[in-house]
Amino acid sequence: MYTLGIDIGSTTSKCVMLQDGETLVAKSLQLGGLGTDGPEDALTQLWRCSGLSREEMARVIVTGYGRNKFEGADGEVSELTCHALGGRFVFPDLRTVIDIGGQDAKIISLTPDGRMSNFIMNDKCAAGTGRFLEVMANILRLDIDNLGAIAAQSETPAAISSTCTVFAESEVISQLANGVKRPDLVAGICQSVATRVASLARRAGIVERVCMSGGVARNEAVRHYMAQALDVEISYDPLAQYFGAIGAALYAWKQIKK
Amino acid sequence: MTVNELFAKLHEVPADPKAQMDRYLAEGKKIVLCAPVYTPEEIIHAMGFVPMGAWGADTELRRAKEYCPAFLCSIVQSILELGINGMYDGASAIVIPSLCDTLKTLGENWKYAVPSIPFIPMTYPQNRKPAYGVAFTKAGYERVIRDLEKLGGTFSDEKLAASNAVYNRHNAAMRKLEQVLAKHPEVTACQRSDAFKSAFFLTKEEHTALIEELTAALEQQTPGTEKTPILLSGILADAPAFNAILDEMGLHIVADDVAAQSRQYQTDVPESGDALTALAEKFANMDNCSVLYNAAKPRVKWIVDTAKARGAKGVLVALTKFCDPEEFDYVMIKKACESAGIPITVVEIDRQMVQFEQARTNIETFRDMLNM
Repeated sequence: MYTLGIDIGSTTSKCVMLQDGETLVAKSLQLGGLGTDGPEDALTQLWRCSGLSREEMARVIVTGYGRNKFEGADGEVSELTCHALGGRFVFPDLRTVIDIGGQDAKIISLTPDGRMSNFIMNDKCAAGTGRFLEVMANILRLDIDNLGAIAAQSETPAAISSTCTVFAESEVISQLANGVKRPDLVAGICQSVATRVASLARRAGIVERVCMSGGVARNEAVRHYMAQALDVEISYDPLAQYFGAIGAALYAWKQIKK
Repeated sequence: MTVNELFAKLHEVPADPKAQMDRYLAEGKKIVLCAPVYTPEEIIHAMGFVPMGAWGADTELRRAKEYCPAFLCSIVQSILELGINGMYDGASAIVIPSLCDTLKTLGENWKYAVPSIPFIPMTYPQNRKPAYGVAFTKAGYERVIRDLEKLGGTFSDEKLAASNAVYNRHNAAMRKLEQVLAKHPEVTACQRSDAFKSAFFLTKEEHTALIEELTAALEQQTPGTEKTPILLSGILADAPAFNAILDEMGLHIVADDVAAQSRQYQTDVPESGDALTALAEKFANMDNCSVLYNAAKPRVKWIVDTAKARGAKGVLVALTKFCDPEEFDYVMIKKACESAGIPITVVEIDRQMVQFEQARTNIETFRDMLNM
């Protein structure tokens, strides 16, 4: 029996198809989230690579900020619930999820048996989110996907002190004018995101195993500085960006089994 | 009237408070606006005015920003905005208590921003329980009385005693309703909010009659199937979009610690002694509130005990953005709830909210956490 999870975020849309709540059959990811063609494109890609159709899905659950506007699912559920389920699917002993998405950051605490026991969301502020990295990458004329690799070349990360994306932007420009090396600047930017979210994470309480999810999890420099700031190992899986969609497909499976 | 007819009636008034105000004015009544919180309505009522709540409204803040910095409680800013925009025109005065720093600035700004409606300050003491605190409160009330006399009101201890009785009866009616609502999950959060909010805009006699009728009708009604019971805490929780989310998520408010809802009805005026001293003693006896100083913070225990007693599965804090007193208390409330094994979450709300998506995600996740 197949279940489908769709995660419509602020910048990307992800789909994951599971068989019997155990086996990942297919996945897709498209740029463009809420309010774009991204969700439809991701679904088209999924049908194409799986060779299956909507009619063969026993249940479809949608999550993410675009969940309320999406038609064609059997139900919707919050992305925090899904990231908890998806994270636990990949790391069975997971206790803390640090999810940094395009527009927000969330910390989810899990009990030893995997139930959600606490969560914290950041305020409506771009600092400490993927949006912050995107703005900085644009200023530096870099591809956001390369930030982690460039930061790895840094010897001394630059200090980015501003708590606001708008002010940080002018700070980065000032640092460029002062001749700060680009890798140091990129490392400082990644460190800024990590330390900001680490502060949020400490409020929720950190219990190992800790993993990162969401698009920003792909940035190895943010993971490195997060581990440094929290003094814990940060687990990472290439499926990290799909945790929300995996969780939605699992949620659909659990509803069927009820 | 049926339960639904009564709720429809209670919805009409807060949906258009200006119309209600105009009706009273057309009847020749004089209206005195009561800013939050714990404005001595009994005195205003006794002196022949209609006390009408002025807790602002969900509106875009434009003119108020000429007087207020951006990081200021939006309840207070929206009161000023409505005043500047003429929504309170026709009122004889506004009484503004001094119970938080932001309210203190409201009075001073009001004098310049809305000169057509006189500002009457009610200065409360920080230490309200000792005899000198009661005397200070009484002196503050006497100042309010003097200012209302200038507007044509007349005061007597007998009239105040009668008004105290009217307000005590209303308090009792609201407490009874709150208890009954805890047993009726079929009543929506939106309806519940209307029942409380309408109290600000109707005379206490009219509102008491409606609430007593509603309570009696509810007691005859078979309760619906239980949803997810929660305790709601905060200053204000009247935004229709916010309450609609609670309803959509299947949450049932089985108790509240909301200043604009049950919190204000916990304490009655004592029946002994002269009426004005008794009213000052009522303020001394009040507690369980972020703006009422008490180093022992009994409010924290009250929330935990009430949540347990009412069977709430969790505590939802609707935190008014930039409300310092509530933010200070939240830390203690969170710690106490977690120690007691009661899940808690906080949702920031304000008077300017247009998008509730972040609140929806938070509340939905909290609902999942309570039920999974």
